[in-house]
Amino acid sequence: MLLNSMANAAVLASGESISSLVPKVEELIVGLVGFLVLLWILKKFAYPQFEATFQERTAAIEGGIEKAEKAQEEAAAALAQYQAQLADARGEASTIRSEAQAERARIVDEARSEATAAAEQVTSRAAAQMEADRLAAKAELSAEVGRIALDLASRVVGEALSDDARARATVDRFINDLESSTQEGTR
Amino acid sequence: MESTITLAGPLVYALAAVGPGIGIGLIFAAYVSGVARQPEANNILRPIAFLGFALVEILALIGLVFAFL
Amino acid sequence: MSSTAFVSMNSSVVAAGEGFVPPGIGEFNFDPYFSDGTLPWLTKPLVASVVAAIMVMAFFILGSRKRALVPGRFQFATESVYTFIRNGVARDVIGHGFEKYVPYLVTAFAFIAVNNLFGIIPGIQFPTLARFGFPLTLAICSWLIYLAIGIRRAGFFGYFKSVMFPPGLPVFIYPLLAPIELIQVLLIRPFSLALRLTANMFAGHILLLLFTLGGTYMLFNESILLKVLAPFALASAVGLTSFEAFIEVLQAYIFTLLSALYIAEAMSEEH
Repeated sequence: MLLNSMANAAVLASGESISSLVPKVEELIVGLVGFLVLLWILKKFAYPQFEATFQERTAAIEGGIEKAEKAQEEAAAALAQYQAQLADARGEASTIRSEAQAERARIVDEARSEATAAAEQVTSRAAAQMEADRLAAKAELSAEVGRIALDLASRVVGEALSDDARARATVDRFINDLESSTQEGTR
Repeated sequence: MESTITLAGPLVYALAAVGPGIGIGLIFAAYVSGVARQPEANNILRPIAFLGFALVEILALIGLVFAFL
Repeated sequence: MSSTAFVSMNSSVVAAGEGFVPPGIGEFNFDPYFSDGTLPWLTKPLVASVVAAIMVMAFFILGSRKRALVPGRFQFATESVYTFIRNGVARDVIGHGFEKYVPYLVTAFAFIAVNNLFGIIPGIQFPTLARFGFPLTLAICSWLIYLAIGIRRAGFFGYFKSVMFPPGLPVFIYPLLAPIELIQVLLIRPFSLALRLTANMFAGHILLLLFTLGGTYMLFNESILLKVLAPFALASAVGLTSFEAFIEVLQAYIFTLLSALYIAEAMSEEH
């Protein structure tokens, strides 16, 4: 009984296994038709879109690269321009600076020479004035001293020295002595 | 009689799996060492490795099918 | 042999009785939706495959409609799938003149991946390609494509001559090699393509079912030991689900890769 049912089960199982491995006709048909329809539709509608997208993307990337290269070139040109301008400005600044320095030196020199000249003028004028004063004083003094000395001498001698020539010679000699002694004294 | 048949199936598959197991191991060992030695050859080696894998694997799968027959 | 026979007999007795019934090949046979006999061919895998085709279609058409130069999230997702196959498989494997075969490869990849992922999507939870018919149609498509390429390139006899008698080998090897190569190109390649998908999905589905159903059975069993062990089984089911997701996408990739390899081989001059 048990063996019998087992045998039945085994037969059933083996029959099932065989029927499972042998493909059913409807499976073949549905599989084939379904797959071919799928393939056809996708080939017609989906895949060309993908390829087109890829091509567009490639083009866009290449265009982007081109654009970037262009932008880089522009940037490089602008940089060169800026650098040239900067160099110009620097050169200008340095010329201006050197000019200003020259100007300053010139002004300083001028001022200095002017001042020196003015100082020299003042000094020479003062010296001339002093010389003139000294000469005037000397002349005045010599006349005064002669008169005072004559006065003094006439008073001392008590007599009028009428002889002018003699008197003048005496005075001159006196003054000369006086000058030489004062000169020795100032030395 | 029938019971020996039910036991024969698993045994068939067990035996059929031994060789492919070793074979797949060898294939992927060679693949791994090849890629380790030359990483840039990966794209060339991968289809070859999977081709070998598929060809070896089918032996085990045929054993599986026979186990159920 | 007798002891093993006894053990297995015991387990079959349990299976035949009220105990745990391990998931078997019966899980892959579906009853039609209408039990009264109308539309007897309308089963879950058929509906699932059509749903998968519609999903793939919607995915790619919606993703390609905007054509933004800077893609949004959804467009980026669709484009990555497309470029992954286009550049990673078609261009790298086929090389020059690959553009013609990109649509087939991308469609096959997406269709297979979605159908496979149905195995772990709640509510469907059946990898459509575990039914042998679906992968067989896809494999036949690949088969027809690479045969057509080869025959168009070298002529009918020229192509099969280049397949059976690749140059540069010692003469005595040709009697051995020629039939093998012929059988390989004509039979083994398409069937291995289809069988690889089916068997992978089949095995993965059975594995998940085993852990889920077994874990549930253990959880509601009266035995304390089984109750304690049940969470481990269910946790394994969760872990295996993510592993299956990986396997399912990987299998779609392998199918596409192998198709591309066969196409490349048929296109190249020397075998």
